[in-house]
Amino acid sequence: MTPPAVELRNISKRFGNVLALDGAELRVGAGEFHALVGENGAGKSTLAKCLIGINGIDAGEMRIGGETWAGGDPRAARRMGIGMVFQHFTLVPSMTVAENLSLARPGPPAVIDWNEERKSLAAFLADAPFQVNLDAVVSELSAGQKQKIEILKELYLGTRVLLLDEPTSVLTPDEAEEVLDRLRAMASRGELSVLLITHKFREVMRYADQVTVLRKGRAAGTRAVATTNEAELAEMMMGERRATEVTDRAEKGQGEVVLSVSNLSVRGDKGLDVLHGLTFESRAGEILGIAGISGNGQREFVEVVAGQRPYRSGGITVNGERYAAECDCMRRLGVFVLPEMPLRNAAVPSMTVAENMALREFDQPPITRHGLLNHETIRTLGLGLIERFSVSPPSPDLPIAALSGGNVQRAVLARELGGREIRVLIAANPCFGLDFAATRFIHNELIAARNRGASVVLISEDLDELMDLSDRILVMNAGRIVYQCTRSEAEQVEIGRHMAGHAVVQ
Amino acid sequence: MAAGRSGGCVPTEAPMEGWGVVLGVAAGAVRGSIPYLFVSLGECLTEKSGKINLGMEGVLLMGAVTAFGVSDRSGSPWFGLLAAALAGAILGALHAGLTRLPRVNDVASGIAMILFGSGLAFFIGKQFVAPMAPQLPLIDLGGWSASPAIRSALRISPLFFCGIALGFALDFVFRRTRWGLYVRASGDDPMAARSIGIPVGAVRMAATVVGASMAAVGGAHLTLYYPGIWSEGISGGQGLMAVALVIFARWQPLRCVLAALLFGGAQALGPSLQAAGQTGYYQLFNASPYLLTLTLMALTGSRHGGLSGAPGSLGRSG
Amino acid sequence: MIAYKPARIIESLVIPVGALLTGTALFGLFCAALGENGFAVFHSIYRAAFADWYSWQNTLTRAAPLLLCGLCTALPARAGLIVIGNEGAMVVGAIGAVSAGLAFPDAPHIASILLMAAAGMICGGLWICIAASLHHFRGVNAVISSLLLNYIAIALLNHLIEGPMRDPASLNNPSTRPLAAAQHLGLIPGSRVHDGLLFGLAACAAAWFLFSRTAFGFSARVVGGNIRAAQLCGIGIGRVLLILSFLGGACAGLAGMVEVAAVQGRANASVNTGYGYAGILVAFLARHNPAGIVLVSLLLGGIVASGGMLQRAHNLPDAAVMVLQGILFLVILCSETLYGRWTERRLRAN
Repeated sequence: MTPPAVELRNISKRFGNVLALDGAELRVGAGEFHALVGENGAGKSTLAKCLIGINGIDAGEMRIGGETWAGGDPRAARRMGIGMVFQHFTLVPSMTVAENLSLARPGPPAVIDWNEERKSLAAFLADAPFQVNLDAVVSELSAGQKQKIEILKELYLGTRVLLLDEPTSVLTPDEAEEVLDRLRAMASRGELSVLLITHKFREVMRYADQVTVLRKGRAAGTRAVATTNEAELAEMMMGERRATEVTDRAEKGQGEVVLSVSNLSVRGDKGLDVLHGLTFESRAGEILGIAGISGNGQREFVEVVAGQRPYRSGGITVNGERYAAECDCMRRLGVFVLPEMPLRNAAVPSMTVAENMALREFDQPPITRHGLLNHETIRTLGLGLIERFSVSPPSPDLPIAALSGGNVQRAVLARELGGREIRVLIAANPCFGLDFAATRFIHNELIAARNRGASVVLISEDLDELMDLSDRILVMNAGRIVYQCTRSEAEQVEIGRHMAGHAVVQ
Repeated sequence: MAAGRSGGCVPTEAPMEGWGVVLGVAAGAVRGSIPYLFVSLGECLTEKSGKINLGMEGVLLMGAVTAFGVSDRSGSPWFGLLAAALAGAILGALHAGLTRLPRVNDVASGIAMILFGSGLAFFIGKQFVAPMAPQLPLIDLGGWSASPAIRSALRISPLFFCGIALGFALDFVFRRTRWGLYVRASGDDPMAARSIGIPVGAVRMAATVVGASMAAVGGAHLTLYYPGIWSEGISGGQGLMAVALVIFARWQPLRCVLAALLFGGAQALGPSLQAAGQTGYYQLFNASPYLLTLTLMALTGSRHGGLSGAPGSLGRSG
Repeated sequence: MIAYKPARIIESLVIPVGALLTGTALFGLFCAALGENGFAVFHSIYRAAFADWYSWQNTLTRAAPLLLCGLCTALPARAGLIVIGNEGAMVVGAIGAVSAGLAFPDAPHIASILLMAAAGMICGGLWICIAASLHHFRGVNAVISSLLLNYIAIALLNHLIEGPMRDPASLNNPSTRPLAAAQHLGLIPGSRVHDGLLFGLAACAAAWFLFSRTAFGFSARVVGGNIRAAQLCGIGIGRVLLILSFLGGACAGLAGMVEVAAVQGRANASVNTGYGYAGILVAFLARHNPAGIVLVSLLLGGIVASGGMLQRAHNLPDAAVMVLQGILFLVILCSETLYGRWTERRLRAN
């Protein structure tokens, strides 16, 4: 069955005060591999969710297979053959692959005969682009395998127009290649139309037939991939060639070792070790980038430093002194942490901005003397930091939960950077989901901290970010450091290979 | 709420020493396990769907008083049983409805249900003057024995067999039926479940209502079985211990059945020993089920949570 | 256009008051369903609780243990730990107080009171610490464990007053030996209300001061607000939880001491008063706020004080009061969803 042609014209969508889509346009022909690009916040995911019926549309027209559709009904979208693979997994962790696939089917029988089910699943798998073990429990699978199962699930449900939202962010380069190759083949055979949401130009140029660029909620242009190039795409995406105001990197000789992680072994949520004897060092006045696919122990490492997770063996020393995640020790050794998802990990949503900024200092003078806390002082100090770090809206009395994501991160950054002497700053995916301006700001602050002599450890899943900022790059795979190189030696392909664990360990 | 239960049954003949205690405990295990069976299976269903209902103690008491009252008024214990199930369903719906509202804390709502359910039960119970309501007929398995003690021990309530069957049924439901899968999905990863199109809110509501209904049936046993009186001390925290029992059983229905038997036995320890002449530490033996529960919870817990088998969304909103 | 901060203050007054009114209205319907005039019932409650100095004294006497027992739940709750072991802590505190008192029967008044209070507070504090420790070190659900500890405490009480600590002279109502007259808690001059009320008010004031003016209180709020943020900033979670639990348990233990030294004069089964459970309600109704606890304790004390009147005048059994409490609890819970709706709009408008 050939997939239907998809046409979206002049789509507008508003969320509260925010106009997410403002006359966006998109056309995906039958059997076409279409890429949708744009920076964070341009509206790519929103548009896709309109197509799949999760978001209703405020204005504009959608035509599926020539027929007009009002949208807003995910089940109708499913019936028309439109399906989406999201960034978050939609598999139930404690169930097996077979149970998940059966569950997804519309109208499974009241009592399930597993013999019959397995037969029909096996029949489906015979023609499928990937193979999976039906009896594996989802929680034990890797991200790559889960992603494949998500795609299989859509195919099992009869999806003909497959939307993929940044699918390769959790895959190694080789897995990404496998998945996109297979999907491309299915599109070429006319079995499937693919809409790939991505910000990686490499993927666009290699796999897509057509590409649409979104900027600030409207289409900045649609091109055939064969007739365009990455520079043009970047220009369409950003609007104009913007001068990148990057803080100057001060030339630094090699500083002395500040942070030393030796033989750290940490147990993960499932009871198995996720860090196996992790060992590395970082020096003063450098940005040490740690690359790796998410799920290889980075999150757990940050949690250990932040005191949110215990470690089994090994240790962390700062300037030769043993590090423990207690107030006094962190203060004395000058260790600060900027975790991902700051509202969840680093801030108290119900407290005010000023109070959040005081979280590290509240039991010290000038805020507290003889155990008594002075709220005015908290407020005054907060005002100063708000101004320095341009937190908006600039009120110290608002609950921090009322701020946008970028501003929450600014506030947390203000707390970590604004006070005392920083020797070690650990930043984990600090710019995830933030817009261009906020990302630039944070990058500049990290460089500034480095220039002042701090040792910055930047853990990120965005290789571009790491290559922009780092003095040295380490690759973490399966809880170990498997590769290191300096800024000048760094090569995307080589690093990518180590991220996948395919190359020989140095 | 006072401690101690008035449902502790004791063989009415002259006690034999060692044997008497063992028999007493065994018979007591069968008898006493019934409330634990129903409440723990009901709570297991509720928690598998991702909701926690701490108010089972209140549900238990409401089930007991409703069964007593309806049985008394109508003359049929079976109507009493049905009424108890209905009362439980209503309370379950109340809890589920409340906790669906954003920002309402599951735990606080459960505590509220304990207070409200108990209060309402005591209030309703005040008007009953009859000393005993019509009882559920017992199944007599001991006809082959000459010993009155054994025969008395083998007169078992039909609810016991219902409870065991319910355990197996629930296990089947979780593994092999569509609704069972919906419940497991809703409890483990509600976001994923919603993406598939499962009506998570409705599933949780149904699981809570059915679970509370089952718990109320367990409560009905307390008043529809010898001595069959209603008093405010009729449950000594059994509803609550059954909630702990589910954790101990790692949310598996068959393990709940075994654990219920264990707890029933522990509960029978005090009265059996007393019947055997050991009166010295009666009060402390009465405390043994609570101590057992605490100890088990302490032993099976771990500092950093993450109990294996726990539904993923339990304790987290969403 | 009202700004954000005043809007929040208005919200935190209007919503609880509105909830209370709704709750009382529902109870009125409940009474009507039983054939009693709701307004008449409320009038009786008012007469028995707040109409004159005599009723006020009844109310204040009953508010005293509620103040202390309310704090038992409220203090750890501010740091995110819910314990409902107030009854058990009270009982254990009573046992401790009476043991201390009986050990030194000839001690002078002030010394006795201090000694018994200290014993009660330490026993109560440690009792709740058991639940908190199990929670922190073994991940055991504190609501369940603290409630189980209640039953264990009551069993312990019964065992002691029927056995080792029994007064041979008490035949029908087992109890310990009585305390000496000099060991009894005095009355507030000019009233029939015992000094326990002062203990309660002082405790609430101390709690308020702790949370709003001290660094420890701030750290408790952080722990209660987001435990991961607290870990990130190096705040010792276990320390905060255990200290707050000890303080909360100490308050309940003090209530037990008051029950023994002021009301009963000895420890017997009546020490198991049910005030502990009412304390849970007080804490939730007051949203764990010490100032709110004072108001709610007065209200609830009045309702409890009117129980007898309701029985005589309206044929409503004691348990009707429990139903009212339950309704209030449920309504207050529902009202939690209303917080933030109005203020969010203020926020976005500004």
